[in-house]
Amino acid sequence: MAEDSGTLWGLVEEFVTGQQDSKAAEVASGVKDGDFTVLQVVESLGSCLANTEPRTRSRGVQLLSQVLQQCYSKLTEKEVEVLVVFYENRLKDHHLIVPHVLQGLKALSMCDVLPPGLAVSVLKSIFQEVHVQSLMQMDRYTVYMIITNFMKIREEELKNLGADFTFGFIQVMDGEKDPRNLLVAFHIVHDIIAKHYNLGPFVEELFEVTSCYFPIDFHPPPNDPHGLTREDLILGLRAVLTATPRFAEFLLPLLIEKMDSDVQSAKLDSLQTLSAACAVYEQKELKEFLTSLWSSIRREVFQTASEKIEAGGLSALQSLSSCLSRSVLTADSEDYLDTVLNNVLQDCKHHLCEPDMKLVWPSAKLLQAAAGASSRACRKVTSSVLPLLLEQYSQQAQSNQRRTILEMTVGFLKLQSKWSDEEDENGLGAFKAALCSMVYSAVTDPSSQVHLAAVKALTVLGTQKGFLSAADIDLVVGHLTRLILMETDLQSCNAAIEASGSLAKIHPSAFITRMIPQLSSRLWTEPMEINANDNNGIQGNALRIRCLEALAAVSTHQSIVRETVPILLDYVKQAQEGKAAINSDDIVSVCKSLHQVAVQCQPDAESMQFYHNAVVPCLLSLTVQAAIQESGTPSTEHVLLQDAVVSAMVPVISAACTYLSPEFGASSVSRIVNLFLDGDVSLLSENNFSCKFQPFQMDASTEPQSRLVALLMACVCSLPRKVEIPHLVRLLQHLLSLSLSGRSSFAYSTSSKCFAGLINKFPTGEPLDEILQDAARRIESGLVDEPNRIQAITLLAWVTKALILRYHPLNGQLTNRMIDLLSDRELGVSVADLFSLLVSDSADILNKACHADIRIMFRQRFFTENVPKLVQGFHSASRDDKPNYLKALSHVLNSLPKQVLMTELPSLLSLLLEALSCPDQVVQLSTLTCLEPLLLEAADILSVHMDTLITKLLSLSSSPAMAVRITALKCMLALTKLPLHMLMPYKQQVIRALAKPLDDKKRLVRKEAVEARCQWFLLGSPGS
Amino acid sequence: MKDSLTLLSRVSAHPDSRCWFVAWNPTGTLLASCGGDRTIRIWAKEDTNWVCKSVLGEGHQRTVRKVSWSPCGNYLASASFDATTCIWMKKTEEFECVTTLEGHENEVKSVAWAPSGSLLATCSRDKSVWVWEVDEEEEYECVSVLNSHTQDVKHVVWHPNQELLASASYDDTVKLYREEEDDWVCCATLEGHTSTVWSLAFDQTGDRLATCSDDKTVRIWKRQGAGEEKGVSKDEPSWKCILFYLYRCCSCKNPLSNALATACGDDAIRVFEEDAGSDPMQPTISLTAHMPRAHTQDVNCVAWHPKEAGLLASCSDDGEMAFWQYQIPSRGASK
Amino acid sequence: WVGKMVVSSQLENANPLIYQRSGERQVTALEEDEDVVDKIDDREIFDILVRAEHPLSLEELNVLEQIRVKVSDEESAVSVEFTPTIPHCSMATLIGLSIKVKLLRSLPERFKVDVHITPGTHASEHAVNKQLADKERVAAALENSHLLEVVNQCLSARS
Repeated sequence: MAEDSGTLWGLVEEFVTGQQDSKAAEVASGVKDGDFTVLQVVESLGSCLANTEPRTRSRGVQLLSQVLQQCYSKLTEKEVEVLVVFYENRLKDHHLIVPHVLQGLKALSMCDVLPPGLAVSVLKSIFQEVHVQSLMQMDRYTVYMIITNFMKIREEELKNLGADFTFGFIQVMDGEKDPRNLLVAFHIVHDIIAKHYNLGPFVEELFEVTSCYFPIDFHPPPNDPHGLTREDLILGLRAVLTATPRFAEFLLPLLIEKMDSDVQSAKLDSLQTLSAACAVYEQKELKEFLTSLWSSIRREVFQTASEKIEAGGLSALQSLSSCLSRSVLTADSEDYLDTVLNNVLQDCKHHLCEPDMKLVWPSAKLLQAAAGASSRACRKVTSSVLPLLLEQYSQQAQSNQRRTILEMTVGFLKLQSKWSDEEDENGLGAFKAALCSMVYSAVTDPSSQVHLAAVKALTVLGTQKGFLSAADIDLVVGHLTRLILMETDLQSCNAAIEASGSLAKIHPSAFITRMIPQLSSRLWTEPMEINANDNNGIQGNALRIRCLEALAAVSTHQSIVRETVPILLDYVKQAQEGKAAINSDDIVSVCKSLHQVAVQCQPDAESMQFYHNAVVPCLLSLTVQAAIQESGTPSTEHVLLQDAVVSAMVPVISAACTYLSPEFGASSVSRIVNLFLDGDVSLLSENNFSCKFQPFQMDASTEPQSRLVALLMACVCSLPRKVEIPHLVRLLQHLLSLSLSGRSSFAYSTSSKCFAGLINKFPTGEPLDEILQDAARRIESGLVDEPNRIQAITLLAWVTKALILRYHPLNGQLTNRMIDLLSDRELGVSVADLFSLLVSDSADILNKACHADIRIMFRQRFFTENVPKLVQGFHSASRDDKPNYLKALSHVLNSLPKQVLMTELPSLLSLLLEALSCPDQVVQLSTLTCLEPLLLEAADILSVHMDTLITKLLSLSSSPAMAVRITALKCMLALTKLPLHMLMPYKQQVIRALAKPLDDKKRLVRKEAVEARCQWFLLGSPGS
Repeated sequence: MKDSLTLLSRVSAHPDSRCWFVAWNPTGTLLASCGGDRTIRIWAKEDTNWVCKSVLGEGHQRTVRKVSWSPCGNYLASASFDATTCIWMKKTEEFECVTTLEGHENEVKSVAWAPSGSLLATCSRDKSVWVWEVDEEEEYECVSVLNSHTQDVKHVVWHPNQELLASASYDDTVKLYREEEDDWVCCATLEGHTSTVWSLAFDQTGDRLATCSDDKTVRIWKRQGAGEEKGVSKDEPSWKCILFYLYRCCSCKNPLSNALATACGDDAIRVFEEDAGSDPMQPTISLTAHMPRAHTQDVNCVAWHPKEAGLLASCSDDGEMAFWQYQIPSRGASK
Repeated sequence: WVGKMVVSSQLENANPLIYQRSGERQVTALEEDEDVVDKIDDREIFDILVRAEHPLSLEELNVLEQIRVKVSDEESAVSVEFTPTIPHCSMATLIGLSIKVKLLRSLPERFKVDVHITPGTHASEHAVNKQLADKERVAAALENSHLLEVVNQCLSARS
């Protein structure tokens, strides 16, 4: 002990007189280790605390406070008491000492064992002895922290102080200038109010001391290390100002005044604060100010050019109207909601009669905002506005004006549906006849713009529960059918298709009887017939596509799906039989529609099962039949076997298999696998074939059959992982063989994909390892086998991808193999392209939708493991091979999330800049695409490379490849967001250089050049 | 006519900006150019190249619109959009700004030194023309402010051998001024142009004045009834437009041959000459050279070399200067 | 005009007539073909001008209409007629100047740009046209930071 106290004396001495700061930590760890107690530390400081030189006393207190900050959790109640008394006394000491005293008190304020009464005592001392606002920023911050801590652990005691606490704090923060401190102070005031501390007579003072910062005008310095934003302060202050209705009488006049400010941000802040305040206010706080508030909001919405302020004003009005709607009406009180709505109607309604004038939309939006607040408001506004709009529609002759009126009407109708759940009786009932007659007349208006609005109105009316009668619905469906089949304007037709989709869900039978038969019959209209009496200008082909889109769109109800799917499949069947002159584009369109139907069916298991049973066997039957017919013919000519058609069927079958239940899925998949492995045709509806289906046979005669492996893939690779696939190992063997020696690129690459899709989901374990070993061995031998090298690298790439996604340990080895192959004379270029496959999402396989095993952050991991190797490979590669490495690298970088790339950018930037000089246009393009989003974020890193970057981008802006020119110019535009000082030295040079692409032969390039150049002109120029 | 104007060389004079004006010094050893980059540059020929000898960059805050050499060649005056006129003194290689003339309310558009060297004229968008006197101590004093124009004054030039000043304006007129009992007065207004008159040039004798305008014409005016000949009106010789020619431009009379060159907003340079033996009162003038696309943008100014016959300098919005050799076409070829 | 231009922060015509905006130009297959030369056409110039204007677009105010924008790529000439919202619109010169500046910044330098008021639609049509055609005054105006500020504000994209 004696020895310990000697050590302690020594440490104290060295800290206080020796000015060795590190000794404080040693004392603290001594206390923590139990070598000496805090009271011993105080004792050992005795002499210097009594020293006449303030600096020495200050140093002593500093030591004690630093120790306490480390050890406050170890203190006993008794120690805390002694220390608090000690520190309180010291608050009266020399000003040099006060900061250290506050540090000590802050440490003590975090002690759970703080004895009762001391918090109050400390605060009283601070309020009394310390003039907080003459302290340094740091020390003021400490005071706020002490108060915050006490409020957390001694709320009840502090509340016993009554209004004195509130008053004390008002004095503490009065005059605060530092934004960091203000943020804390705002939090304290908010808590004072929210936790119901006694404000006593100081409500106005508390409001004054905070509201003087409104509106916040703070612009963080560039590179602000505190990361404090303007938004933080705005929200902090707003929480205070809107914390209590008791501030209302002060806040509302302030908001009204600031809304009239010339500063846009002040207007916006005032409007948003008003919205927030209305959420806690009641009618009694607002009533005095309603007229002024409304006229300010109206003025801002009418006058502003800024969408933000308009949105702020509308939301403020809505909050206001909500607040008034909430208030309970008593028999004798005035209905202020009614008063405000009357004002709004009076000031806005007449503008609705001027559909050509600028104020028409602001007025409509204000009315809709007010109406959107409550059912009561909505009823009042719509009942006044709708008759006017209906009357206006009949009076206006110009289609522009009619469109505007219709669009406004749609806005009001939509609001109505927002409240219809609460209402027993639909508020629109009285207008039904008039509304219907307006919309029906609009939908036959000569102007397509009017149609568009009318279709929206139809949709809204049709979705209002029970609003339209069955006869009306039939009429609506008739109109939509007419628009789909006859309307020459594509936009109107598309809108009608979309509307049909929404309404079919609610009124399926009307669509089944009125629309689908018409669509179906038009599907079969021969092009010749249409052209013969061509009076509506829609070509046969376009009409067919519309019918297909509409059939898909309306398939939103099970009963409709049962009608539409057979129609679509029948079309494919006709193609198989060669009955009609159907080309591959037609079948691709049918497949798109089938796919859309599947996607719409997915949420409903019953529809899905119907769909699967109807579609999968049928498509397989038809294609197998076609393939068998074609077997032995040298080239595949059958329409159903073309690459585009088979590829279009893949998503259809995929979507039909993605959500199958395990039981149903297993039975279905086993029949499909049997078909492909053993030629078992029992699944197929049509199964009377001249020869056997042998897709894995791999001779010239069965080549058409091998193509259908794509459909096998679509099925087996998209099943949920729970569904077991029979004969999986045998299937994989066949796929491997076909991948490595298939003849057509379509066959071997889909076979590779199928193999990859299956091993991605194959459970970990020995069987998988064996399969992979075998695959790796066969790929290696394929790589030396001259005619099949391309097959081998394709398979290698897909297998590598499958393993990267699931983090399989073998992925590194395979990726290394791919990196090595970048130097291969013959294959290097193709391998470089295959790197894009490794990291990008593929549409038909190995994605989330088909339940692939994809680990999070696999790209980041791939990046970290392989980019250094690619960079190194680039440096050691021969000149001819370097572009391959750059290309591979730029594919990898392109796929990465921006944040990840940012951290790596410093090490990669010089390489990227080098890649910009690479003559390969693909490399240039992907490097530019990769750079563009980074330019904004990487100011610091870029600053040293500006010369090179600008020179290269400008030179690429005259590349022979249009896409490169466009992207280079986009980069030039992105650069303008960098700090001004980095750009100004280049401004004149860039403006001059960008004059050249203004005269590019391609319009799309000129467009980018114009944007970039105009933006460069604005740099550092007044008003920008 | 085809080969009558041959390009000798091109120089990027005011890169990233436009070159507004060029002026030869009286001996033709130096050429001054000025432009939108707020600088004046002094050029001299070394071997076959035109080399920038100095850049006068510190004098003006805005575009330098025109420059004028003093007859002695030791001073250069520059007019700028910053509302000032600077006087630069030549010191062996360098130039130093010795005086800044202030007074115009806004952009000074033109400056011209009188043949005596003791008078200087400036004009501005403030509609005024100012005459300045230079004393032995090189102090400049404004002796007259002439407010005859109703609009922006674009250009001022002095008569080659008399103290007669001419100005051109946005008000579509040309005015002539002379000193009368210690004060300067407007003594003639030439009306005829239908749009802004951009530029003026006297011939060698000073009897004829060429003006060019935004109305796309050049007009040639002749002094008539000058007192020394017919004595009709001794004090007030009248000027009559004797010819006009389409094309908007800045013009410059060749001091050696009376060939008139024009710089034009259609990017072309043209040279006109009076046919030999044509009636002095109704001369016939032919286009003897036409160089379309002489520059890639508007040509702003042309200037004949004071000593070397047929050497012409031009400058343009594209920031370049060009040097041309004019060869009077043989009679037969002029067709 | 430099000195006299008064720029008000609020529209003098608070509730002007508004017109419909034309839709985005659709990209055609020819425009995506590397080898085809797309001539600069009227619509392209129009799009340059109406794409970034505020508070209301010049198109919605009918100040600019596509039929009043003419370009000849071969002759390197552009002519734009604009229609002030009201015959005494004090902003006419400023609008014209903004249009002219936008074109000067956006078109190849070979182009001669002519911006003028639709005949018969403004009280000071001739004076405004003459100012806009005077390149010396345009150049001087753009060195006036106050005026440049207003022009740049007109040319900055809608925020």
